[in-house]
Amino acid sequence: MSKLYRLLFALVLNFLLISPYALFANPQDSVEQVKQEGHHVAYFLTSKLRGERLFKGLTRVPTSTKACISCHNVEYIDTFNWNPSARDIAGTFADKPISDYRKVLLNPLGKKMSESHVDYTFTDEELEYIKTYLGEIKENSSYTRKPNINSIIIFLFLGALITLSLIDLFFTKKIKYKFIPILIFMLSFAYQIQMLTEGAMALGRKQNYAPDQPIKFSHKTHATNNKIDCRYCHTMVDDSKSAGIPHVSLCLNCHMIVREGTNSGKFEINKIHVAIENNTPIKWIRIHQLPDHVFFSHAQHVNVGKRECKECHGTIEEMNVVRQVNDLSMGWCLDCHDKTAVAFQTNGYYSSGFKKLHEDLATGVIDTVRVKDIGGRECARCHY
Amino acid sequence: MKKHWKSLAERNTKSDTHSKNDIPKGNLEQLLDIFDGDQSASKSNRRDFLKLCGYSLAISTVLASCENSVQKAIPYLIKPEEITPGKANYYASSYVNGSDYCSILIKTREGRPIKIEGNDLSVVSHGGTSARVQASILGLYDTNRYKFPKIEDTKASWEELDQEIRKTLEAFKNSNEKLVLLTPSIYSPSSRQIIKAFQQAYPNIDWIQYDSSSSSAMIQANEMCFDKTGISEYRFDNADLIVSFDADFLGNWLDSVEHIRQYSKKRKLSDANTSMSRHIQYESRLSLTGSNADYRITVKPSEQALLMAQLYNEILILKDKDNYQLTDSSEDIKELAKELWKNKGKSLVLAGENDIDKQVLVNAINFELENYGITLRVDKQLKTKQAKDEDMEDLLSDMKSGKVKGLLCYDVNPVFDYYKGSELAQAIKKLPFSVALSKEPNETSDLFNYIAPDNHYLESWNDLEPRTSRYSLMQPGIRPLFDTRQFQSSLLAWMGKETDYLKYIQNYWEQNMYPLQAAYPNFISFWQHTLQKGVFEPKTDSVFDTKFSHQNMDELMSEISKLSASDGVELQVYESIAIGNGSMANNPWLQELPDPITKVCWDNYLTISPKQAAELDLETGDVVELNSKAKFPVYILPGQANNTIAIASGYGRTVCGVVGKNVGVNVAEWISFSGQTRQNITGNVKLQKTGEKYELAMTQTHHSMEGRAIVKEATLSEYLNNPAAGNEVDHEFDNAGIYEKPNFPDHHWGLVVDLNSCVGCGACSVACQSENNVPVVGKKEVIRAHEMSWIRIDRYFSGNEDNPEVFFQPVMCQHCDNAPCENVCPVAATTHSSEGLNQMAYNRCIGTRYCGNNCPYKVRRFNWFDFTKADSIPNNLHDIAEMTIDLKRMVLNPDVVIRAKGVIEKCSMCVQRIQDGKLNAKLKGKPVKDGEIKTACQQACPSGAIIFGDLNDKESQLVKETTSKRNYHLLEEIHTLPSVSYLTKIRNKISNQT
Repeated sequence: MSKLYRLLFALVLNFLLISPYALFANPQDSVEQVKQEGHHVAYFLTSKLRGERLFKGLTRVPTSTKACISCHNVEYIDTFNWNPSARDIAGTFADKPISDYRKVLLNPLGKKMSESHVDYTFTDEELEYIKTYLGEIKENSSYTRKPNINSIIIFLFLGALITLSLIDLFFTKKIKYKFIPILIFMLSFAYQIQMLTEGAMALGRKQNYAPDQPIKFSHKTHATNNKIDCRYCHTMVDDSKSAGIPHVSLCLNCHMIVREGTNSGKFEINKIHVAIENNTPIKWIRIHQLPDHVFFSHAQHVNVGKRECKECHGTIEEMNVVRQVNDLSMGWCLDCHDKTAVAFQTNGYYSSGFKKLHEDLATGVIDTVRVKDIGGRECARCHY
Repeated sequence: MKKHWKSLAERNTKSDTHSKNDIPKGNLEQLLDIFDGDQSASKSNRRDFLKLCGYSLAISTVLASCENSVQKAIPYLIKPEEITPGKANYYASSYVNGSDYCSILIKTREGRPIKIEGNDLSVVSHGGTSARVQASILGLYDTNRYKFPKIEDTKASWEELDQEIRKTLEAFKNSNEKLVLLTPSIYSPSSRQIIKAFQQAYPNIDWIQYDSSSSSAMIQANEMCFDKTGISEYRFDNADLIVSFDADFLGNWLDSVEHIRQYSKKRKLSDANTSMSRHIQYESRLSLTGSNADYRITVKPSEQALLMAQLYNEILILKDKDNYQLTDSSEDIKELAKELWKNKGKSLVLAGENDIDKQVLVNAINFELENYGITLRVDKQLKTKQAKDEDMEDLLSDMKSGKVKGLLCYDVNPVFDYYKGSELAQAIKKLPFSVALSKEPNETSDLFNYIAPDNHYLESWNDLEPRTSRYSLMQPGIRPLFDTRQFQSSLLAWMGKETDYLKYIQNYWEQNMYPLQAAYPNFISFWQHTLQKGVFEPKTDSVFDTKFSHQNMDELMSEISKLSASDGVELQVYESIAIGNGSMANNPWLQELPDPITKVCWDNYLTISPKQAAELDLETGDVVELNSKAKFPVYILPGQANNTIAIASGYGRTVCGVVGKNVGVNVAEWISFSGQTRQNITGNVKLQKTGEKYELAMTQTHHSMEGRAIVKEATLSEYLNNPAAGNEVDHEFDNAGIYEKPNFPDHHWGLVVDLNSCVGCGACSVACQSENNVPVVGKKEVIRAHEMSWIRIDRYFSGNEDNPEVFFQPVMCQHCDNAPCENVCPVAATTHSSEGLNQMAYNRCIGTRYCGNNCPYKVRRFNWFDFTKADSIPNNLHDIAEMTIDLKRMVLNPDVVIRAKGVIEKCSMCVQRIQDGKLNAKLKGKPVKDGEIKTACQQACPSGAIIFGDLNDKESQLVKETTSKRNYHLLEEIHTLPSVSYLTKIRNKISNQT
């Protein structure tokens, strides 16, 4: 008996030891650590501080003008900001000469920028300070997001409750009715387990993942406002497994002429031209990603199955920042395979063979052929 | 029913199951061995177990706390027009490695070659490939290749190298001192032209061709007999009777891919065609060809010449021509002569040995049998071997005497494979000027001053003429991975010319090939279409009056008649099916491909007859000393002629990558020079037992089928009487089960293997490995019976152990409709699909291995380690083939998942190809056509023995084969209802005597 008891204890202990890590994992807090090369700026400390104060508007800002930080955020913010962040600017301008700063700041190009950059008067010395500050940002900064602490606190709190209830149950016995600590223990433990299972199941899935991209590309601007068809950019969706992220020269089809965006001004679009000129590819952050052991084909689903993009990706055309809408779990896949009808009568592929299904359809045993009827629930359709 | 046995051990002890002493270790024990530094002697204890538990706990915590890493998606800046990410592109090209040639398609994904397939359009290779062709893709990503030019072992730029070499060449030219360009046989017309131009630019340069396995005697014999230098082209598909004296034409004799295709074509039986050729083989070692023969006669190499002379004489007697005085020939030879005479014009006599006398005799026999123009012809030639052995002898003596001042050496490795390799090495070291143009370091290039690294063939342009007026183009599948340059461009650079070899080829083709056709109106379209097809085969009318004349026939015959059979032990050096001449020794796929006959991998060994082994008290694995010079492990091979032994060359590389280094022993020194040609036979060798033991890695005794009716066979006459001969009990058990027979109404995929076509070459095994990312496990693991091949070729012997009949049977997952493995899986990781496939979901597998245990065919393989870096846990790794290096992982097929440690895997019937084929059909809106989907093994097979298809498609080739009377299932009495079936083996024997 005692052996069994000990084993159980060991199991629970093991479980509690390992599993809390599942809670730490947060689908949204995958943070990209960017290490960029850059020369060390050897200015004395105060110039950096002064630059920071100028940038943040803590000094000598006429009331008529906005401080830089009011548009160009330094820290990570949750809300979407069309303007380039301080880090973005630092990446482009930190090493440029002061004359460039002057040109951009005081003689803004483009509609959007000239609306906000009005009446700025900076001396070369001040620009030097700002430059130093930006250099510092480029050297060190990467956005850090705080981990989602709530669930851990709740988990620990429940743990404390369990401990207290157990102590009272066996030793202190302050509570008169035994069922109360037992109930507390059971409820807390059950909730903890539920938290753990949910956390564990979400591991490796990235529902609601919406990372910052290297270019503030808005599907809303392109697909909704300008009514560009999805296939104009995602050209391979009908032929290949992958829908294809458009190659950079495809962007230039329009952006050769469209040099300024309504929301983002020139800064973001310019990145395309920089990429082409410098022969450096754009490293997008991948959002929708299936594990390596899953073989998914866009051609199968979009071309053969005639599925709409939004069935899996949500209303991407409404999004400024792409977010993974569905969890892309196997259960989610199979739900769709169970429900979805196949173009059984129209696609010539099914015209020869498939006798049983043809008979069943003719005799009315089934009204439509669904994906699951042609093997859509089988392992080797996606896993091989 | 004859008794079939898989090894001598089985035959003698009636079973090849392990004795009690060597019960294999369990999973945990083996794991603990790793922790103990892999010493199997040390005992594991409780503490190790605790360590292991702690370790796994730590790993699981680390894993659980891992965040999703940020994945990048990086599109092209400017997408190449022809590339669609996710879709494969195929480029027609040619495989060339010395004398090995094959017309191929390179399968590329996102611009990187991942697989080689055969090119159906070629009339030479007919879409077939060999194991080496399939494995050659891995050589592209070999980390051992030269990565940049070198001068005296230090990195240099091409400009520096070119400048220095040109300066030196000029200096030698001015002082008119002799240099030599040493190459393998060059059968590229453009390259030959470049070499000629190079010689014109530097008249002091001699060009010598060197074939590691020489066919010099055939070239010289044809010159003597027909005044036509070169090797005849053979047509096994026109021959009703093939008599071969030691010619391993299905193995390494000339071009096996072409020969296997022709041979199997002639022997393919169907309702429409019930005739097949008869094949009689005289040989000493049991070769791949001999094991496929209808009759095999063991003779010592020294006895062959007399037999051939007698045969010639008997034919002359039959023709009533002047004949010679010889000792009386045996009844067999008289009978054979009559048979040949009956089949005159449709027969073929071959001699394998590199001996001019024998080749002249064979020419004479074929001429008297009126075979020229039908089963072989001299006007059409095989051009892949052109070297004459004397040239190499002269070169060595010139180098020793100091007459030759410098050597430029391209793609040959004579220090390793020439019989006087060490002398050559000494001479090379003394040379003031030496340039190596090889793609990877080898024993020869290691001694050279300058290294001008050559491209891999998948990075090169070239044109080829493997047969007279059969042209073929080689185009690259990828840009050079390293700072290398192809041989031809280097020569152009050293002549001070434009180094663009592609342009050179185009110019050459515009002048020489374009006028040979009339189909295309301009050169550009001709070039592009030819490049797309990979081959150009213009119609040529060749009128060649084959007239046999030989001045010294009398002398030759009288000399042969004086030969007396020697009593001593004769040693034959041969090239193995997998490794060949050793140039691909660093290829782990080839190293782990078991020899078709002996089923040994990762080694060479000395084969010896059972009788002689008994006399010397030897058993397999004993080490013997040969002439007190070298030591070899012994393998007792049934069918080896008594008093003969054989060893494979190509092993024992010392300057090589980690895979091939010091695997086996180099036997080049056992080759000798007869005064005219190099010969692989050494007489009167002395064998001495040493008492040492050596463990050979064998895959043969692992999965005993315990003497059941595995391979069914019949003779041709029996088959003609009754097509179901040997297969009388087929499909009797189809409805034997208590459950209803499963029904697959949509598709029902199946395979059929024609055992009469399969020659056992092993191309399918390597193709499968390449297609399905099957890992290499290494010698030690093979010894522990942990090899991973998804398709293996079982080999059975039957009959007399001195000269047994041999059977080959490819065995892959049988995709049973009533599968024993599926019932026992506790987690439903292996299930049956509605299309008749036995599916395996690796991510579900928890590694109980119940399925492997329950599989009657033993085709399920367990990943004892992580061989391909499937996860990031370092202690799981077991990397024998460097497959965890990023560069080598480029070869992995992105459509097939790599399996982690602790899961079972097995043949999926190339489900990725099935899915792809179905998708393409759906995209076109048409049913899947028969032949549209091909499995990797089927694609690679040179004999067309494997046929894939839909069992529900009544018009398909597959259904035609499965409804044949010869069709049977493996172990059908256990009612597994496999989707894979076999066709009986038919031997063209007069009666079924053993």
